[in-house]
Amino acid sequence: MPTRIEVVADPVRDRCLLTTDHLSPRQLPGADGVVRVALVAAGALLLAGDDVRIEIAVSGAVRLEIVETAGTVAYGMRGGSARWDIDIRLTDGASLQWYAEPFVVSADAEVTRTTTARLATGCTAHLRESLVLGRHGETGGVLRTATRAWLGEDLLLAEDLDLSPETRTGWAVLGTNRCLDTVTTLGFRLPDDPQTLQLEGPGSIARRLVQEQHQSTLNHPVSAS
Amino acid sequence: MGNAELVAMMLADGRLPTGGHTQSGGLEPAVRAGLGADGKQLADVAAYARDRLRTTTRVEAAVAVVTLCGTNVAPDDENVPQNPDTVALVEAAWAARVPSHVVRGVSRRQGRLLLRLARRVWPDVSTYLPNDGEIARPVVLGVVGAVTGLSAEQVARTIAYDDAQTVIAASLKLLPVDPADAATWLAGLHDDIEWLVKDVASLTRIDEIPADGAPLIDVFAHNHAIERMRLFHA
Repeated sequence: MPTRIEVVADPVRDRCLLTTDHLSPRQLPGADGVVRVALVAAGALLLAGDDVRIEIAVSGAVRLEIVETAGTVAYGMRGGSARWDIDIRLTDGASLQWYAEPFVVSADAEVTRTTTARLATGCTAHLRESLVLGRHGETGGVLRTATRAWLGEDLLLAEDLDLSPETRTGWAVLGTNRCLDTVTTLGFRLPDDPQTLQLEGPGSIARRLVQEQHQSTLNHPVSAS
Repeated sequence: MGNAELVAMMLADGRLPTGGHTQSGGLEPAVRAGLGADGKQLADVAAYARDRLRTTTRVEAAVAVVTLCGTNVAPDDENVPQNPDTVALVEAAWAARVPSHVVRGVSRRQGRLLLRLARRVWPDVSTYLPNDGEIARPVVLGVVGAVTGLSAEQVARTIAYDDAQTVIAASLKLLPVDPADAATWLAGLHDDIEWLVKDVASLTRIDEIPADGAPLIDVFAHNHAIERMRLFHA
């Protein structure tokens, strides 16, 4: 069973259906038109054999803000592996802001992490993903990511990253950096900046490759969506 | 239609007037960031070319192969449907896989140069491509391959070899590299090139195109785009 956050806009009171699995979503107070939900780990995460699936479905003129209370550490897996799959569906003008806390891949961990987002035209998403390869002073394990985003019928973004130790350390993927901090917008663009990647369609990627997570300058939403 | 082998050699020849000499395959900004600094670890040039073959160049080669397959004027396989919108569809798939507008711009400018030459040398490309316009280079190359009878392997190999040679030839102008060392590095990449060829040559569908990214290459490309003093365009 996946962890699921389902929000449907309603003129009287926005409906919010929360399903707990590996993570437990808890609703927080929010302003009108904004549903705020905290994601809290419901047990020890992330261990060999864990198959974490998080489904987000937002429909109608409402904004969902997901707040994480702590980062996630993928621990050494002794030959095992784990998955972390995020599925986002936004329809009828919905918007999502999810500034995730760091996702740390320890030595000897092996993790596949996918993010799939399907947005109807007119919807927006503002996502942060902070990947950290290894805890302090440690060479991180294997992380493979796959990101796919559609806006309406059009594929907006497709990016697979092989962040295993042997491929990430050269001059193409991460170099000597330990952290890959990324803010992605879908359905709207971030302001132009020399280091901001503007996608072909309406969307942007702002990225910082840094040695220590706190050196990243993406700590706060760059602009409100 | 000429001899496909000779067409492939022409396309891979740096003397073909398509502006290949203006490209370093991202090596110049990588050198500025420290690759081969102080003349040390010069073999990192070859490692960098290999990393490209496994990521961004793999995507480019797949784009060219799928373009070739979709526009092949004499298809070997009747099961592969011909779609008149192939060029636009593959270009869109490529654009979704190249998140940086700077990197897309470089490829499209190179594609335009190749297109302008190709419509004179191989006028059949006009069946699939406009007479002028900024279209991703691997898409243009895939169409050239289709109208000249190149195989998927030849198209993929041309893209892969060209990219590796672009990086390695540029190293001679950016770093104190012995030309014989450079040629040795290129020969040392043959297995990686053939791995890539084998990996992508059988692709026929747009959704099979890989999407390997290389964030550091994007960072370097963006640094280079606003660099005042540069030897290479990209």
